[in-house]
Amino acid sequence: MFDEKDLLLEARHVTRRFSTPSGRELVACNDVNLKLYRGKTLGLVGESGCGKSTFMRFLVWLDRPTEGEILYRGKDITKLKGRQLHDMRQHIQMVFQDPSTSFNPKMKIRDIVCEPLLNYGRIRHSQRDEKARELLEMVELPGDFADRYPHNMSGGQRQRVAIARALALEPEIVVMDEATSALDVSVQETVIELITRLQREKNITIGFICHNLGFIQSFSHQIAVMYLGNIVEVMPGDQLSSLCCHPYSKALLNAVFDTKMDFSRKIEPIKGEPPSPLDVPVGCPFQDRCDQCMPICRERRPVLTEISPGHEVACHRYGEGVSA
Amino acid sequence: MALLDIKGIDVSYGKSLTVKNCSIALDPAKICSVVGESGSGKTTVIRAVLGLLPGGGSVTAGDIVYENRSLLKLSKGEWRSLRGRDISMIFQDSGAMMNQTRLIGKSFVEYIRTHESISKQDAWKKGAEMLGRMRLPDPDRIMNSYPFQLSGGMRQRVGIAMGMTYQPRLLLADEPTSALDVTTQAQIVRQMMELRDEYGTSIIIVTHDIGVAAYMADHVVVMKDGRIEDQGERGYILNDSTNAYTRKLIKAVPSLGGKRYV
Repeated sequence: MFDEKDLLLEARHVTRRFSTPSGRELVACNDVNLKLYRGKTLGLVGESGCGKSTFMRFLVWLDRPTEGEILYRGKDITKLKGRQLHDMRQHIQMVFQDPSTSFNPKMKIRDIVCEPLLNYGRIRHSQRDEKARELLEMVELPGDFADRYPHNMSGGQRQRVAIARALALEPEIVVMDEATSALDVSVQETVIELITRLQREKNITIGFICHNLGFIQSFSHQIAVMYLGNIVEVMPGDQLSSLCCHPYSKALLNAVFDTKMDFSRKIEPIKGEPPSPLDVPVGCPFQDRCDQCMPICRERRPVLTEISPGHEVACHRYGEGVSA
Repeated sequence: MALLDIKGIDVSYGKSLTVKNCSIALDPAKICSVVGESGSGKTTVIRAVLGLLPGGGSVTAGDIVYENRSLLKLSKGEWRSLRGRDISMIFQDSGAMMNQTRLIGKSFVEYIRTHESISKQDAWKKGAEMLGRMRLPDPDRIMNSYPFQLSGGMRQRVGIAMGMTYQPRLLLADEPTSALDVTTQAQIVRQMMELRDEYGTSIIIVTHDIGVAAYMADHVVVMKDGRIEDQGERGYILNDSTNAYTRKLIKAVPSLGGKRYV
């Protein structure tokens, strides 16, 4: 499926525990293993609170895992400090969900997009005008927007500026945390077109967080489904509807409303809500909401097993679980 | 005979005309979706129906007729008997409309006692029973919780349960699922469909999620810049409409097995 020599970043057994005031432990990410390939998009899907943002935040050093390592260019980036960390940051950048709160409202767009470049001494102060114009034109905005403030722009335009800022340093990896969720569908479409075009031109690797499976499958090369801190299924993006077999991924797929669906079909939402991450049940985390739960699901936690090239599932009904 | 007939209304905030010449007719036991981008005036329209326009907003032309009565000429007392009983509203985040420092049960009791003279104990029981009817697990625990102790999806279902206590003939829903996860969204959508099937409630749902709008609606209204751009039966809007904006909007909806960008 993917060429191993294109492997750019690999997370191995990444676990993040938070301790709560009551002395209990909350496991936000449990033994997460994921790979990012050069020029490809990894879509990470799950309900709120499943740990998808926690994981992506490790990549940009907004948080550090409790255990495990993240290898980038052969180096474990979770242990970096000082100068080395500063240098590494320019290779991995982030676009946040809400473009209106991720900018300093008192800075002009010119200063916003050029700040990373000035930080790393890539341009001189006098080159700002020229560079800002170039970056804005890259994201299909008029160069004159450099003189505006964030509040003078629409949500879609602001998100384009956020993309320009993230790409200013020409990073290898860009993490996008629900980067289009706050936008209207028609704007969302144009922003995604922009992102995929820039990805092709610059061969950028993207880690995209989203909760809408229908949307993310339209531009991901690889999709990982996360539930309560565990990766339950990883599959190639273009074969999502035919391959997807974990009961939770199927439920997510069933919950997608689109205009081409059969409207007479009664939607069958999964029952209840995910249990509190403070008391994740023994065995499979999805057991209480799964309609195919077996006795073994309550005893042993299924491990992620490859059942076909590029397709891994953590479910006792598939892979290792069936033979055992 | 239409249950609700919005006849060419204009809505202004101060001097700025926000909604222009908007007409929607809704029959009993039908669902109407209002879709459009943010700022297209869709929320303003349904707020006008319930007389809940924010300060400075007013209907400056046209008329809103509910069961042969003009809603624009009602007195405060008439509004009180209509709102929450005949016409209910669900907001984007039902948790935010409740008092954060009061138990959900207390808010619920207050709501019931506004519309009916019964004892607090009976009102509490009625509230818990209503939560049970809406298939919320463990109604007593919910009645004894504060809004912030419940998840977003749960709060939304409590909001629906409150709105449905008196089996209103008309339910107005303002982006009821926008703040929720897809799985919870599916639960809420299903619940609202069941209200129509079981109680014959008419629903106007305002949403920017065209997928949800299309699934629920009999009639779809497309709004743009304060005007109705296009409206019609669901099949017409989705497949046959020749309006350029409608086409563009429908095309932009991501669909499974649809367009891929990579």
